[in-house]
Amino acid sequence: MTDLSVAKLLTGAAGSTLGRDGRADGAEAAGGSSFAAFLESQLASAEAALRTGETVSSRGLVGKADVQSVVEAVTAAEMTLKEVTAIRDRVVAAYQEIMRMPI
Amino acid sequence: MELENSLTVAASGMRVQASRLRVVAENLANAQATASTPGGDPYRRKVISFASKLDRATGAELVTVRRYDVDRSDFVLRYLPQHPAADERGYVKFPNVNPLIELMDMREAQRSYEANLSVLRSARDMLQRTIDLLR
Repeated sequence: MTDLSVAKLLTGAAGSTLGRDGRADGAEAAGGSSFAAFLESQLASAEAALRTGETVSSRGLVGKADVQSVVEAVTAAEMTLKEVTAIRDRVVAAYQEIMRMPI
Repeated sequence: MELENSLTVAASGMRVQASRLRVVAENLANAQATASTPGGDPYRRKVISFASKLDRATGAELVTVRRYDVDRSDFVLRYLPQHPAADERGYVKFPNVNPLIELMDMREAQRSYEANLSVLRSARDMLQRTIDLLR
């Protein structure tokens, strides 16, 4: 797991604005890791895990990988996907909370 | 990453137990395989040995097959003069496979596989429940 220190996340989120495509629109000057950069690296590792899972399961289907490797890769991919979706849900929920805030 | 490493280690354990079961299957299937020439040697029982292997990427200690050896114990002699593999005194060499030992080995492989499966399942459940905290 990546170091999920809440304080770091909060300062990163406060210092950066998330663009439409999830990239930071600048404001990386907050120093350290911005939340957008963190999200991007997490998504990249999740994508790598999912790709490994797909590759290994297709190799398992044609009989080139044993069933243990398939289970291992698919479980790892599934867990990573769940983690990423859980984090995304929290991010979206936080965004909506802010949007509902009366000015 | 520790829980993911547990998945990898458990999967390596399951893999070697599968190889072990393959050896047991070979031994049991060939338990009656005699030689084709008179007085020749029949199938020789195989044994498997395991070794631990350090996975440098994660620092986890995996298990792997060290090598497949043959059991050097004596063959079983049976008096079967009409058999094509019988020697001049009428004895046929049968493989040094004891089905009881093979069955015990098979049961051990099965139990060990199940233990590794339980580790895999509980590592997955631990991950799952931790992620569920975010929901």
